[in-house]
Amino acid sequence: MRSNPSDYEMVAPNNLRAVVSLLAQEPGMWLPIAGGTDVMVQYAAGKLAVRKLVSIWNLPELRGIEVAGDEIRIGAGCTYTDLRGHEIVGREFALLSNATGWTGGIANQNRGTIGGNIVNASPAADSLPALLVYDAELILVSLRGERRLPYPRFHAGYKKTLLAPDELIQTICLPRRFSTYFSHARKVGARNAQAISKVCIAALGRVKDGVVEDVRIALGSVAPVPIRLTETEQAVEGKAIDSDLFLLARKAAAAEIRPIDDIRSSARYRATVAGNLVVDFLNRLRSTFAEGDGSKDVLTRWNHLPSDQAAKIILPCCGSMAWAREMVARRPFADDAALLAASSEVWRGLSQSDWMEAFQSHPRIGESRPAIPLSTPSAPSRSVEWSAQEQQKVGDADQAVKIALADANREYERQFDRIFIVCATGKSAAEMLEILQRRLTNDADTELHEAAEQQRQIMQIRLRKWLQK
Amino acid sequence: MSDSREGHSRAEISFVVNGEPKTVWAYPMERLLDVLRHQLQLTGAKEGCGEGECGSCAVLMDGALVNSCLVPVLQARGSNIVTIEGLAAGETLHALQEAFLECGGAQCGICTPGMILAAVHLLDRKPEPTIDEIREGLSGNLCRCTGYSQIIEAVAEAARRRTHA
Repeated sequence: MRSNPSDYEMVAPNNLRAVVSLLAQEPGMWLPIAGGTDVMVQYAAGKLAVRKLVSIWNLPELRGIEVAGDEIRIGAGCTYTDLRGHEIVGREFALLSNATGWTGGIANQNRGTIGGNIVNASPAADSLPALLVYDAELILVSLRGERRLPYPRFHAGYKKTLLAPDELIQTICLPRRFSTYFSHARKVGARNAQAISKVCIAALGRVKDGVVEDVRIALGSVAPVPIRLTETEQAVEGKAIDSDLFLLARKAAAAEIRPIDDIRSSARYRATVAGNLVVDFLNRLRSTFAEGDGSKDVLTRWNHLPSDQAAKIILPCCGSMAWAREMVARRPFADDAALLAASSEVWRGLSQSDWMEAFQSHPRIGESRPAIPLSTPSAPSRSVEWSAQEQQKVGDADQAVKIALADANREYERQFDRIFIVCATGKSAAEMLEILQRRLTNDADTELHEAAEQQRQIMQIRLRKWLQK
Repeated sequence: MSDSREGHSRAEISFVVNGEPKTVWAYPMERLLDVLRHQLQLTGAKEGCGEGECGSCAVLMDGALVNSCLVPVLQARGSNIVTIEGLAAGETLHALQEAFLECGGAQCGICTPGMILAAVHLLDRKPEPTIDEIREGLSGNLCRCTGYSQIIEAVAEAARRRTHA
């Protein structure tokens, strides 16, 4: 039975204070509505009991994402699209940005908000397990003031929350301390897009010397509220990560969840899938941290590494930190070709100072060490090794050519104020000397772009070597 | 719907639709979809599911794709709306409309306006999308006839033409 719009009152104040004043005047009588992706569905079905609505869509006080010291603060009115497009969320909170990409189609991502998703309190919501493992805290606001609440305490029972009738969620705070963790999220539903999950998982973990250092696992759709598997976590921490542990984790998880039969799935199916998802996570965690496992596809493994580690590994292929960070942010790459294409695109979009950083990571042609070592301590060895391979033919050249090359290098540095970059692979010293002498006649801008193009080619060769290792 | 019914009053709501300023009198909780279809006679946006699952009512609101069945019209106040009727320039079809025609991207036509607006939204953000990006960009729009292949091909074709024009 469809609702009649004339039965409903609705106002749209233009600031947050006006909204909380209204909620304070008649607590419980007003229903806040943001993008309407839940409220309007209830309305369409004639199931909206409240007759007064206050719009909080697009309120500026609720729409920002800001970094405040060691945490990131997300306005409750941020849409899924806002979150998906945000650089820090994508880089440091991959579980959240992945889940926002799964939720609904594009139109619903443009309207659905993170605060609305929390208040709607569906046990099946894809982004809520991510908030649990990231130790989110909520800032709730009312005319009485603000209070801060750890998110795991917010859900009191099925569709019950600790939000007072005169309160709104204003901000979701996420501490920035999980970027070194391996993260894994997955949903199981009838189809990938637009389907509500039968079971979903968000998990973080760290392994040292084959032992589980820390894991954080949360599941959706297996209990009246999204839950952290705290007992399973305790059961596996400090233990060797092997198949015995997987069995133990599966048992512990089964004891912690309370799945039900409903229209989307059965309790039995959910229990089995929940166990599978926990084991799948631990398995991936093990492979990610396994050392010297040459059989595993380099790209797949790199796709799943914690951001810092992934950046460190790819840095020597280019030398620019900005490039490495952007490449990490663009993960996962489906295949080698996608990564190679992205690397050129990212390189071309960098600033001149980023290009300079990459140029400086190379040794002069004919020398073995870069003038300025890379800032990351473990990076240079790989870069130095590659430089040696690339410049192999210089070593074979006769002394006269070597001397001429050294002179031309100095001339180049005097003229352009940086070292001469050329893609040396396969080129003899004489060939490089010829190129160098030609490029000395370039104007500054032409030469900068020629150097950048050479660096791009070097990078492509290095990326291929790395991927085929 | 009758004005004599007990209830709340209509409000004056102004916005821009397909480049033209419009003012309507509507109950704040009326759906943008109904206002477009019944008051402004723009029947391009269709009601499929009425609960934001199928995308046949999709329009652009301030450049963002939205399901107009889930937008209370009060929230559209002051916004800039584009419906399928606003894409063609006179007799000249939009590149995506041309491509849908040529590739057989439309059959019964119910999903077509939403599909095309979702594609406009995608190409505005990603002028050279991969096939996977096209699939994702249209994942909120359901089609019961074509099996999607021709629709995806139409979007890819329109993107090719735009980039190489």
